[in-house]
Amino acid sequence: MRWVTLAVVVLTIGGALAQFTPRNPECIAPAGAGGGWDFTCRSVAQVMQDLKIVNQPIKVTNVTGGGGGVAYANVVTQRGDDPNLIVAASPATTVRLAQGQFSRFTERDVRWLGAVAADFGLVAVKADAPWKTMQELVAAWKADPSKIAVGGGSAVGGQDHMKVLLLGRAVGLEPRSIKYVPFDGGGQALTSLLGGFIQVFAGDASELRAQVEAGTVRVLGMMSPRRLPAPYANVPTLKELGYNVEWVVWRGFYVPKNMPTPAYEFWANALRQVERSPEWARIREQNSLGQFFMIGAEFQVFIDRQVNQFRNLSRELGIIR
Amino acid sequence: MTDRIVGILILFLALGYALEASRMQVGFLSDPLGPRPFPYIIAILVGLSALWLIFKPDPNPTWPPPRFWPVLGLVLLSLVAYAYLVVPLGFILTTTLEMTLLSVLFGARWWQGLLGALAFTLAVYFLFTEGLGVTLPVGRIFG
Amino acid sequence: MDILQALLNGFGVALEPFNLLLVVLGCLVGTLIGVLPGIGPISGVALLVPLTFALKMPPESALILLAGIYYGAMYGGSTTSILLNIPGETSSVVTAIDGNKLAKQGQAGPALAMAAWGSFIAGTLSVVGLMTLGPLLAQWAIRFGPAEYFALMVFGFSTLSALAGKNLFKALIATGFGLMLATVGQDPQSGISRYTFGFLQLEDGMDFLVVAIGLFAVSEVLMLLEEKTPGAVRAQVGRIYLSFKDFMGSLFTILRSSVLGFLIGVLPGAGASIASFVAYTTEKRLLGSKARFGEGDLRGVAAPESANNAAAGGAMIPLLTLGLPGSGTTAIMLGALMSLGVTPGPQMFQKHPEVVWGLIASMYVGNAVLLLLNLPLVGLFVRLLAVPAWFLVPAVLAISFIGVYAVNNNPFDLFLMAVFGLVGYLMRKLEFPLAPVLLGLVLGYLMEINLRRAMTISNGDVGYLFSSPIAVGLWVLAGLSLLAPVLVARFRKQGLGGDEEL
Repeated sequence: MRWVTLAVVVLTIGGALAQFTPRNPECIAPAGAGGGWDFTCRSVAQVMQDLKIVNQPIKVTNVTGGGGGVAYANVVTQRGDDPNLIVAASPATTVRLAQGQFSRFTERDVRWLGAVAADFGLVAVKADAPWKTMQELVAAWKADPSKIAVGGGSAVGGQDHMKVLLLGRAVGLEPRSIKYVPFDGGGQALTSLLGGFIQVFAGDASELRAQVEAGTVRVLGMMSPRRLPAPYANVPTLKELGYNVEWVVWRGFYVPKNMPTPAYEFWANALRQVERSPEWARIREQNSLGQFFMIGAEFQVFIDRQVNQFRNLSRELGIIR
Repeated sequence: MTDRIVGILILFLALGYALEASRMQVGFLSDPLGPRPFPYIIAILVGLSALWLIFKPDPNPTWPPPRFWPVLGLVLLSLVAYAYLVVPLGFILTTTLEMTLLSVLFGARWWQGLLGALAFTLAVYFLFTEGLGVTLPVGRIFG
Repeated sequence: MDILQALLNGFGVALEPFNLLLVVLGCLVGTLIGVLPGIGPISGVALLVPLTFALKMPPESALILLAGIYYGAMYGGSTTSILLNIPGETSSVVTAIDGNKLAKQGQAGPALAMAAWGSFIAGTLSVVGLMTLGPLLAQWAIRFGPAEYFALMVFGFSTLSALAGKNLFKALIATGFGLMLATVGQDPQSGISRYTFGFLQLEDGMDFLVVAIGLFAVSEVLMLLEEKTPGAVRAQVGRIYLSFKDFMGSLFTILRSSVLGFLIGVLPGAGASIASFVAYTTEKRLLGSKARFGEGDLRGVAAPESANNAAAGGAMIPLLTLGLPGSGTTAIMLGALMSLGVTPGPQMFQKHPEVVWGLIASMYVGNAVLLLLNLPLVGLFVRLLAVPAWFLVPAVLAISFIGVYAVNNNPFDLFLMAVFGLVGYLMRKLEFPLAPVLLGLVLGYLMEINLRRAMTISNGDVGYLFSSPIAVGLWVLAGLSLLAPVLVARFRKQGLGGDEEL
């Protein structure tokens, strides 16, 4: 495996010399404007333009439908060798792939390019909730799970629900006893938390920043591998507290499976330059995103592992048969 | 009479809709109500209204003259063809053709229609792609 | 006093030459986008977001531009509804009912002018509301949970008979059809797909815009083709100016619809389409036989157009005071603001007063600009009707294609549009009303999902639906609304009896 990585590195360095220049480059955001994929496309496109990595602006196209499935099918069946195309992705993509929601297509039907940032899952309650710590919440939850409604921004089986089920499993709760209420996006779930209709919100760090700064919600635990900077600096990770739950919302890209090698290397190199730039650091900071960088073969391996892991989890938790 | 036939068709629609609901496979993580009751209620509402239509129909509508039906078929067919061809042939070509067809059906001479359609399509294409940054299909055959 | 000082500072920001230019530009582009059928506020704002990055605008300028486009598009949406019976966006669907009847009676000018005045008054009132009641209303919006939303949707349906034509059962079938469409797609509560028949494109549900353009625009073109015979009634240029008497006659409708639209707009997830539906049906029932709703009444234009503009203003409240986007359009604005380094949230008024108050001041300016822009345009738009049908109708349809395609970048939607065009044509021939289909589609999804959320939260206890004062209030309203025709009849009878005794 190591020599593959080495080969990619060598090829990438060579790739800069391979003289591929994209013509009418395009980034597909597989959902509507204003969402996470849209943000990934637009911000990365902007930085690539500012750094003069591309000499034409990257066109952002929102291909919506099927939770990203329409774009996925489109790329696989119609643009399988397009050298000028990158497509935004996140764990929402791998979760759906793992659950077979993209009709007959699998994670092997595209080539995975890399990830340049990450958001992290968290568990929050309202500021005036009786539970001051994660342990107190878990105790109350285990005592009577029917009294605690947990909300999230995704459908049953989606990312936010998986977080809740994983946490439930870590504390020893039966999946069926967990009350999960799906909302149309994290914003609506958050509104319901503030209104007291749900007791717990399983969201992401970036969604909650303004509320945490204003003191309207209390974050009990982070699903990140390490503690995050302010305003989350005082919030322990779930791992610290002894619950083995981690949820990393990486933000990255895939490309058409038969993209020519020089083009693939061009894009991999472009992402590398973006990730290292101060412009990108500023964008990450403004949007409360953490560092997360993985590229080429390493990312491909990561995706394969993640899809498998999600597939097993979904079976175990009863989401798929 | 027309309303009776329509009522029967709608009744079948409601039955089919309910039948499809009854065949939904629900995982064990569903909510207390589940995905079926709402469709059942809709099917009952539509079904009962259709029955009413069958027993108390309105007077027959005035249908268009028979020579309109081929026109209707042509327009609908052209719209379906448009949906299939817009990506491979591109926005400009397909839209010009579609507009020309409609113009002629609305009584224009073919060259009038074609010129108007081409000029308008080009103007709109550049307004949207250059002015507003909308992505419209260029056409794979030109790619 | 604080508010006045803050507002003055806000005007300082809004009247800077660059920002003033952006307000005018936003209003102009917004009006253009609004006039084009199928391209509404969401697409308009989404299209212009990249521009704010490219020009490296300060956040207040970006927000001023985007907001200008947002309510500019709301202004423009009524134009094609009135002139051609082709709704510009989803929130102008009901405007077409009376608006196009008026145009066919040679009253296109007054109808367009009424839409502009209604939008202006509603827009200005909603800014006043935003400024003075913002934080208070935000607290009210938060208290709307699943049970309250469910009751609100029931209230929405209780006004349905106002949209029915001659036959109530046909209206019920049309509503049921809309409800059926609302159940298409992935069911969030169980994760399974319903009625998608294996099409990935249907997983996210039926797009409201695709259904609306197909049912209304395509079927209208088919109707026009059929009626192409000499002597068929077509909209005429006719009168251009709105008389003072007509304006005064609609004033209370505008005021009531503004308040209603504003309150609905504040609620996250409800939005301008529901506001316009509810305002129209409420006014129709309130005015009863005093108005000629459905046959061409200016108040039938004033109600939905005031309500959708007021809703656009209301939707800014949860965004600015809580950082919670209530609609698709405000969600895009939130994303844009965050990327520009401003995180809207509970502390926005303290941390970024120049952004908030600059925006509020710019909304006063923008509404005035829009009125000044739109009234002269009325004459121009009305003259569009003099363009020969062979050019005008296909041209409008071509723009609708862009609107339908550009939302999802998916040719499948064009196919669906054609199917709904045929359905719409047959429904019109068979005298099924079309508006209830869209009512069912809009309200149906929210109704089901909120009922099921409520049942999940309460572990299946139906009493939960009646457990808050707001919910009970809405149930009472829904009940009154259903009984209204009966009550009004009885009231009238008693009134007559009283006269006889005298």
